[in-house]
Amino acid sequence: MGFITDYIQLQKAKLAHERAFLHLLRWFSPLVWLDYLLRLIVRRFGLSYLTFIGISALRNQRRALLTIISVAVSCALLVTLLTLQRELTVPPESEAASLRIIARNKVSLAQPLPAKQLPIIEKIPGVVAVSPFTFFGGNFREETVTSFAQFAVDPVRFKDLIVEGHIAEGTYEAFIKDRTSCFVGADTMKRYGLKIGDKMRFTGTFYPVDLDLKIAAVFQGTVDDRGVFFHHKLLDELMGDPGTVGTWYLRVASAGVANDVIARVNKAFENSSAEVRAETERAFQMGFISMLGNVKLLIGSISAVVVFTLVLVTVSTMSMAIRERFRELAVLKALGFRRTELFSFILAESFGLAALGALVGIGGAWAFWTFMDLQKMTNGFLIYFEVTPRIMATGAVVAALLGIVSAIAPSLAVARTSVVEGLKTLD
Amino acid sequence: MALPLRYNVRNVLVRWRTTAFTVLGIAAVVTVFVLLRGMARGIERSSGNTGDPRNILVVRKGSQAESGSLVTRDQFRTLQYFEEIARNEKNEPVISAELVMIVSAPRRGAAGEANTLLRGVTPRGMELRPQVTLKEGRWFTPGKREVVVAQRLASRFAGFELGGTIKAGPDRLTVVGHFDAAGSAFDSEAWMDADECRSIFDRDMYSSILLRPRDEAALTNLVARIQADKRLSLRAEREVDYYAKQTMTAMPIKILAGILGVAMSIGAVFAAMNTMYASVAARTREVGTLRVLGFSRFAIVLSFLIEGTFLAMLGGLLGSLLAWSVYAVVLLRGINFGTMDFQSFAETVFQFRVTPDLMLLGVLFSAAIGFVGSLLPALRAAQLPVISALKSL
Repeated sequence: MGFITDYIQLQKAKLAHERAFLHLLRWFSPLVWLDYLLRLIVRRFGLSYLTFIGISALRNQRRALLTIISVAVSCALLVTLLTLQRELTVPPESEAASLRIIARNKVSLAQPLPAKQLPIIEKIPGVVAVSPFTFFGGNFREETVTSFAQFAVDPVRFKDLIVEGHIAEGTYEAFIKDRTSCFVGADTMKRYGLKIGDKMRFTGTFYPVDLDLKIAAVFQGTVDDRGVFFHHKLLDELMGDPGTVGTWYLRVASAGVANDVIARVNKAFENSSAEVRAETERAFQMGFISMLGNVKLLIGSISAVVVFTLVLVTVSTMSMAIRERFRELAVLKALGFRRTELFSFILAESFGLAALGALVGIGGAWAFWTFMDLQKMTNGFLIYFEVTPRIMATGAVVAALLGIVSAIAPSLAVARTSVVEGLKTLD
Repeated sequence: MALPLRYNVRNVLVRWRTTAFTVLGIAAVVTVFVLLRGMARGIERSSGNTGDPRNILVVRKGSQAESGSLVTRDQFRTLQYFEEIARNEKNEPVISAELVMIVSAPRRGAAGEANTLLRGVTPRGMELRPQVTLKEGRWFTPGKREVVVAQRLASRFAGFELGGTIKAGPDRLTVVGHFDAAGSAFDSEAWMDADECRSIFDRDMYSSILLRPRDEAALTNLVARIQADKRLSLRAEREVDYYAKQTMTAMPIKILAGILGVAMSIGAVFAAMNTMYASVAARTREVGTLRVLGFSRFAIVLSFLIEGTFLAMLGGLLGSLLAWSVYAVVLLRGINFGTMDFQSFAETVFQFRVTPDLMLLGVLFSAAIGFVGSLLPALRAAQLPVISALKSL
């Protein structure tokens, strides 16, 4: 406890100019500026309801600051949680994704499909293009967990599937020609500082083989610019031609026929040794979310607790603020202000403080998540983490409700107390 | 001389209306923190307490999980005759070549499917895992399409009750029994006959091999021998070590608990600070009186620090109890939680655990919040000039 006594000794010995310096320090607080501004306005235009409320709210600077910060921290947390929930439950969507269908083995994704299904799928009406699509799941270089996926595809067939991708003219042909080459997402290229012509080495985790791929082309402008695609023939060769693929990747003519195509694909292999489950790319991604289990519920309930805590904190601060000014409010009452007016004073003050806190918190969270390189920070676990206007609006609505709710209890207390009682309080 | 503790306790209680909100706020923070830590603890426990230190698990080099591993029959045949392996009464080597498949099944009562692990197991493999005991029904008959599922897993998936069926390829497996694996990782699995499993999935290879060496020396020797054998290209390690590594699944929840703990405690510190500042401001005259009576500044600081910490610890205690009661409800109603294991891509069933040490951690956490929150207000109280403090209303 020595440091505390030291501190107190220091305070005792504090000289006048040190105090003046501390006074100067005050001017770094934005709340002080706001207060000063309000006082200037009052001097110029006289006291109005608004300036009166403003000055009251800022009178106890420390409390106002603490309230604003605690609301801000909670709002930032709420926005972050909602964004996390969105990131985990709503996979990125693009228009072309609704045209694409993934067909996997009905048993599970880990079970392969026979390559001989290809001619049957091709003949199904509504199917524009189809390619094998096999998740390799290798580890890049010496990594133990590689955060981008590698897929074996049929280069010629796959070209018709990636309508939305942007590949530089001529490079895709180079990829088709060289069966040991691959094409890579721009984000992955950037992350590892790769360039065209470089080698990428993958150690298989699901497949007992390793890959040595030469980068022939780069794609960018898709919803996820991270993947690596290589020749399915290469995988077949390394595996000794097992005659299987991981999944089929299909494109249909229009979104309208997607459901029919899904039904036809499923029906085509019914009661065969490898039954198929086809679904849209989006439904397929949602399947992964379902596997995450109770995560959605978990984040939802944590958000609820955060909001609850937020309410408690603000309510307690507001009632403290009002209790401090009980006598003053009694004086106002004696001067003839009505209950509704007193209520609006309190409401405006708590609303204002909550709004300031929300502005700082939500704005801060937005800026933080927008300008941080999340993909790098979380090793590719979080990609977008987009703080949408909808989420920010949710945060703002919560803060607004908070401002209103926390004004109720103090207002009731003020309304209930008579002028004489109010003037007598010492608390 | 220090102020009596009773002074602080009574002060907190007499101003209960102001303090109640702060206490509740801190309680909420502690509840979330303890529950999340309890969840991570549950996941860690389910994989941490799996396996026998005398067993060796062999998977393919480079594969992270059994479900992604392939072991050929040749490799198995070679391995089988290694002299380090223990033998049972019938002079058979204690070694079990198993198949681990991922089968997707519909969730009970909710939309969506999730992956489950289906293990094709041999009689030797069952002997090597004594923690697995039959609870209901009977074990599967070799050569029949029958399956025995973990009781905990059965509570989360549709059709896993006795007499229900699991769709596996064109075939259906009948559930004939439920087993309990004493909270280990096998509580997330379904077991069937290994040969039958290979035949319905049309798989020539195995996924992994579990074996028991003769003794500790043989174990070390065998691990080195398998690792060194380039021809085999397999990875051998103690079964317990293999499962201990799988605790990675708990990492995201641990990180979440950490981040939330920090962020929410910042909010809670400010709330505590606010309360204590208000408490100091309201007691200006009281503090002046105490100083006049001869209490030192240090005694005042200490007193307010104790008061703030006590206040926060009330919240911490409440929060811990709340977390524990959630745990009690979950325990009583037998609710199991599940999440995806990022290594096997299958569902891991776990039960979160709120243990006394986690509750203590929660209370300590709240004490820290209270201490940090009341430090500045306490210093302020000590700085109040005596005369003007006495004059204030």
